[in-house]
Amino acid sequence: MNGLKPIIRREYLQRVRSKWFLVGTFVAPVFFVGLMVVPWLYASSKEKAVKTVALVDETGILYELVAPRLEEAGFSVRQAAPGTEDVLRVQALEGDLGGYVVLGSDALSRGRVVFVGPEGPGLIGSMTIRSAVAQSALEVRLGDSASREDLEALLAGGMMEVSLLQEGGGGTKEDEPQFIGVFAGTMLLYMVILLYAVAVMRATLEEKTGRIVEILVSSVRPGTLMLGKVLGVGSVGLTQLAVWVAFGIVMLTLGLPALVAARPEMADPAFIAGALPGPGLAALFIALFLGGYFLYAAVYAAVGAMCSTEEEAQQAQFPVVMLLVVPVIFLMPIMENPNSTTAVVASFVPFFTPILMYARAGTGLIPLWQVLASLSLLYGAVLVVAWVAGRIYRVGILMQGKRPTLPELWRWVREA
Amino acid sequence: MKDVHVGEAPIQLKGVTKRFGRHTAVSSLDLEVPKGIITGLLGPNGSGKTTTLRMIMGILLPDEGEIRLLGGLPGVRQNGRVGYLPEERGVYRKMKVIDLLVFLGEIRGLARKDALEKAAHWLNRLQLEGWANKRTQDLSKGMQQKVQFIGTVLHDPSVLILDEPFSGLDPINQEVLENIVREFHDRGTTVLFSTHLMDHAERLCERVCLISNARKVLDSDLRELKRRERKGLVAVEYHGDDRWLRGPEVKEIRAFGEGVHLLLSDGADHQAILRRGVEAGVRIDRFELVEPRLHEIFVRHAGSPEDGDRPGERWAGRREVMAS
Repeated sequence: MNGLKPIIRREYLQRVRSKWFLVGTFVAPVFFVGLMVVPWLYASSKEKAVKTVALVDETGILYELVAPRLEEAGFSVRQAAPGTEDVLRVQALEGDLGGYVVLGSDALSRGRVVFVGPEGPGLIGSMTIRSAVAQSALEVRLGDSASREDLEALLAGGMMEVSLLQEGGGGTKEDEPQFIGVFAGTMLLYMVILLYAVAVMRATLEEKTGRIVEILVSSVRPGTLMLGKVLGVGSVGLTQLAVWVAFGIVMLTLGLPALVAARPEMADPAFIAGALPGPGLAALFIALFLGGYFLYAAVYAAVGAMCSTEEEAQQAQFPVVMLLVVPVIFLMPIMENPNSTTAVVASFVPFFTPILMYARAGTGLIPLWQVLASLSLLYGAVLVVAWVAGRIYRVGILMQGKRPTLPELWRWVREA
Repeated sequence: MKDVHVGEAPIQLKGVTKRFGRHTAVSSLDLEVPKGIITGLLGPNGSGKTTTLRMIMGILLPDEGEIRLLGGLPGVRQNGRVGYLPEERGVYRKMKVIDLLVFLGEIRGLARKDALEKAAHWLNRLQLEGWANKRTQDLSKGMQQKVQFIGTVLHDPSVLILDEPFSGLDPINQEVLENIVREFHDRGTTVLFSTHLMDHAERLCERVCLISNARKVLDSDLRELKRRERKGLVAVEYHGDDRWLRGPEVKEIRAFGEGVHLLLSDGADHQAILRRGVEAGVRIDRFELVEPRLHEIFVRHAGSPEDGDRPGERWAGRREVMAS
């Protein structure tokens, strides 16, 4: 393949050196983390004053249960006798106390408490206080029949272990899958495939509208040119993903422990660990990204080649975007019921495979052969689609003017 | 050039036809471009020049006929020894000039280092050395065109194929480019270029091929052609009625200096016109066969250039008087 290497290198370097790449790669993750951290920092700075609370326990039993829970969450707590509210009020106004909480009989029956202070306890503060009281009340009412761990497990919503029946021996799944992690992974997959496939279309269009393409195809075969575009943009995509993953690892290994140390109620390391994909799922992510990217990039290259203006391309790409959007729409029902006939069939359609197979595999409830078979189908489809797209590309890049109709496209494919 | 025998034409077309849908762009064209010669492919816009050059480069495939380029079928393998400047020549706007040139050299098979050296040499040569690290979008159109030309010749091609190389350039840069083309010619490079500007062809070509409406109408050595065509143009100065000038022999009458130029139909006898003038009693001060310019030769053989399906606006201004 003469000329493939310079084409890939040009595409890669031009993109990696551009301002937008730097912004998207390095600034965007910082921005997103900032989006999560800044409100929290803001909230926690406001909460400082409310950190010290007095508990006025009218029930006589709740204080011992509520106080340790609050202390665990970072409050300093002291007990105040009922009837001393006037003193507490003065202390609170003078700033020695963030406020006081009255645990009345309502607290025991319905978890209802009154907070009195110069400022409210803040969003997280009130959540913490509320749940500490409610948990304590439950503990009292259940009596000795429940240990604290059991109680917490119940309050967390329980858990489920899933055991799959397979012929010739059972395979089991240890933990319930983390829905959030899989969902986020699926959306990321959708985003990056679309992002880079569209970049291929743009690059093709740039060469066409910039009248560069004729110089190129007089020196390299159109197929080489298209392959170079796809590989060049794809390498940029992988680079960007790698930077993001590295950033995520740094955040998890350095940022998260710091966060847990500072505010244990803010982050549950076990939850986050569960939300991260295991090595198998991570490998599947890469395989699906590459397959999906190649598939869509080829289609988008053809779309770019048959259009002459940006506006035209925006219209022409609509059906292609739909191919990516449809599986996202059906994501929820399919994750809920990953082995329904619809889910199985849909995830075997190569254009849907990247999104749906990741979601289904993420549930941990589907047989391995389905994953492998759908991957083979996907990569097979890449070859077929790239061949067809390559023929459209070859004719299209030298055409100017009206966009071809479907019958004309078919003629291009036949005659190219 | 091992595979090109001495004397064999580097570019050969035999019965080449290309259709786009119902429109025939090139119709059974035969063409031989001799080695080491500058050949002009002339014709109005839309006459099939660009399509012909694209087929020679293997970018388009002919529907009928056969094309040989440097002894082989057109295609990217042959193109390593060909410098092709297409009519539609853009640049990557965000790229630095030097990067663009190295890239163009590389896709034509040069090693990176060679490409860099040659690009620097040519930038110096065309007084663009200060622009090497500027983005191409910062260049003027003329400078961009020079850069494109450098990209075309960077790999020392033995054949140059240039599609309208002078369009869009100011006269000074046109001359710079013309001189470089001549220089390549002196080094034995075969040059085929298309143009609708007859003046350039007249200055530069040793051989011309005229096409009109997808068909070849002339293919000849330029000097020989002019000698042959001498009978075709008559300069006339007269007083009186001009009716005597009109007749089957005259294809076109154009104002020229004090009088007119008569462009004769193929094989027409100028004596018949003169006789008609004398009979009509017109006072004739001058009646002289003159050497035609390429434009007049073209009109004589292909009719008005306006007959092309997309007449070029540049042609219109050159016609001052038309025979009715």
